[in-house]
Amino acid sequence: MIIEINKLKKIYAGITVVDIEQLTINNGETVGVIGNNGAGKTTLFRMLLDLIRPDAGEILSKGHNVADSDQWKKYTASYLDEGFLIDYLTPEEYFIFIGSLHQMGVTEVMHFLRTYEEFFNGEILERGKYIRDFSKGNQNKVGITAALMQQPELLVLDEPFANLDPTTQIRLKTHLKLLKSPGLTTLISSHDLNHVTDVCDRIILFEKGRVIKDFYTNENTLEELEAYFSQ
Amino acid sequence: MFSTFLRHQWTGFWRSRNKGATIAAQVIMGLFAVYLIGVCFLVGFILEDLIDKFMPGKDIFLVFNGMILYYFSIDFIVRLQIQELPTLAITPYLHLNIPKRKLVNFLHVRSLISVINVFPLIIFFPFCFRNIAPEYGNFACGMYLLAIFSLVMFNNYGALYFKRISAENIRVVLPAIVLLALVAGLEYLKIFSIAAFSDRVFSFIAVHPGAGFLFPTLALAIFLLNDSYLKNNLYIEDLTAGEERKSSTDYPFLNRFGAAGTLAALEIKLILRNKRPHATVTKGLILLFYGFLFYKQDLILTNQFGKMLFPAVFMTGNTILIYGQFMFGWQAAEFDGMLANQVSIRDFFRAKFILLGISASLLTALTSFYGFLSWKILAVHLASCIYNIGVSTVIVLYFATRNYKYIDISKGAKFNWEGISASTMLLSLPVLLSPFIIYLPLSLIGPYWGLAGITIFGLAGMATRSYWTGFLVREFNKRKHKIAEGFRERS
Repeated sequence: MIIEINKLKKIYAGITVVDIEQLTINNGETVGVIGNNGAGKTTLFRMLLDLIRPDAGEILSKGHNVADSDQWKKYTASYLDEGFLIDYLTPEEYFIFIGSLHQMGVTEVMHFLRTYEEFFNGEILERGKYIRDFSKGNQNKVGITAALMQQPELLVLDEPFANLDPTTQIRLKTHLKLLKSPGLTTLISSHDLNHVTDVCDRIILFEKGRVIKDFYTNENTLEELEAYFSQ
Repeated sequence: MFSTFLRHQWTGFWRSRNKGATIAAQVIMGLFAVYLIGVCFLVGFILEDLIDKFMPGKDIFLVFNGMILYYFSIDFIVRLQIQELPTLAITPYLHLNIPKRKLVNFLHVRSLISVINVFPLIIFFPFCFRNIAPEYGNFACGMYLLAIFSLVMFNNYGALYFKRISAENIRVVLPAIVLLALVAGLEYLKIFSIAAFSDRVFSFIAVHPGAGFLFPTLALAIFLLNDSYLKNNLYIEDLTAGEERKSSTDYPFLNRFGAAGTLAALEIKLILRNKRPHATVTKGLILLFYGFLFYKQDLILTNQFGKMLFPAVFMTGNTILIYGQFMFGWQAAEFDGMLANQVSIRDFFRAKFILLGISASLLTALTSFYGFLSWKILAVHLASCIYNIGVSTVIVLYFATRNYKYIDISKGAKFNWEGISASTMLLSLPVLLSPFIIYLPLSLIGPYWGLAGITIFGLAGMATRSYWTGFLVREFNKRKHKIAEGFRERS
């Protein structure tokens, strides 16, 4: 068990946006977090990354409260939104910076990036542009790749498929499946039911901050979810 | 449609997140404008007497005629500095079912709403009515009014046009500066005088009023030029800056500071590659001439370092103060990423110390030209520099942990009140006043003792830096969620 959430609550302007009694994520799971807008997915991820403080309850990562120590940063990589990018850097500079935080040298970073050439589709490296001048989809690619480069044990991605072109979506999906291992736990939020049921072994469905469904995927999952969302 | 656009701008202003500071600033600016308008009225109505008083014996018409083009030349330069392009605000309307014509017209009209367009009318019109009309007749007076009004229009659209083309292509700025320097030089050498030229033009109009139609023609020409430029360039990509190839850079000298050095290098890139921090830091270079106002020969001779302390602390520490006051707002856009990544907060603060230390040292080196006045100034600067690095940095960084305001670093710095809050205003007080508290009692023994005291405080601050870093990290951790939340709220 890598993540344990107890009695977690977050309230904004009198409205409870996250309210989780108990939730555990096991090592090696690939978990899809789904729910309509306002279900509390991003808020949950932000609390998991200690970016916002819960109003009650706690999130334990490997047994330590994320709000109390920085331990989790050593094995957690994440990409939530453009707020995670440093937009006045070139992608190369950004990757090298992120690499340096994990004691990766320039050559090591470049070596890693070479394996992502297909994913980049020739649109990221050596373009002579700062990150802020890229399209949203390409910014996403930079953020996701930077997260993967950290070789994390816990990977947190907020809507990684959004803004990506179809080819890249499929490549990302294949890659995420390929990365699955007992040593990597992945949390993915997405609005794309197809992708999420394809990639994830477990689906957690949120509605207004609460866990409505929590189950392991099988061949009927997609239909079930479609039924739920078309209500 | 006009009223809708204006209403949107109005609501946009009132609902901006930074309302408090913006309104306070606008009120101050408004009062200032009212004051200036009052002064203009007064000047306008007693212009005749003023000319008589300051230039006795001179023909008042000659002086008045000479003033007009002179005024508008300066007016044009001032406009280039302060007149804002009302362009970007229209982006959300471009794709809607609104004819381009209307958007362009809105921009034209919007640019007219500015006090700077009112001043010349108030200054010059009363004189025309009171003096020109009785002397040269109503037709001539009417032509004067028309000419002055046309000059206002000419300057308004001319300045905007120049700003627009220079925003697109920076190369036009250089010939403009050369031309300006040339005219100023000729004026200085008394080869060509704007005033004499202006007098000749308007004396001619006084006698042959019909010639005055030249001005509205010119104004119309520049208006149409501006108009066609806008119509042809009303595309989002044209409203933003041009493209050039960006390359990756590295600052090897910072590598020896380890992780903190990496973060400091990052912030140097932030400053160099973004408009607002870049402008803020460049402003610091202009402030280096501040000392000339203060360093008077008698102060230096009588060792009155107390009176030299303020400019010294301010000049050697102006980046610490002016750049530091918005910390960590500069990094607001990527702050979430900084927190979620494995960035040690201790290194984060060490990077700030490195950066501020380098800037203070550089500024002190640059201000060494004051050494030509006296070596004593160098001593004051050195003491101030050490104090800034040792003590001011800690004060500034402490206040930074209480600053929750996001700033958009891609916007210009001029008249930009975003990110200003009570804490950013307050912080300059302790930085600028604390050296006096140390200096004054010690200076009773001797002025050099005062300087020594300041230096010792600075050195003590540097020696105990790791304690202060720990203190700042604790303060930061107490409020980091609040800072991150504030930075996520963008206007």
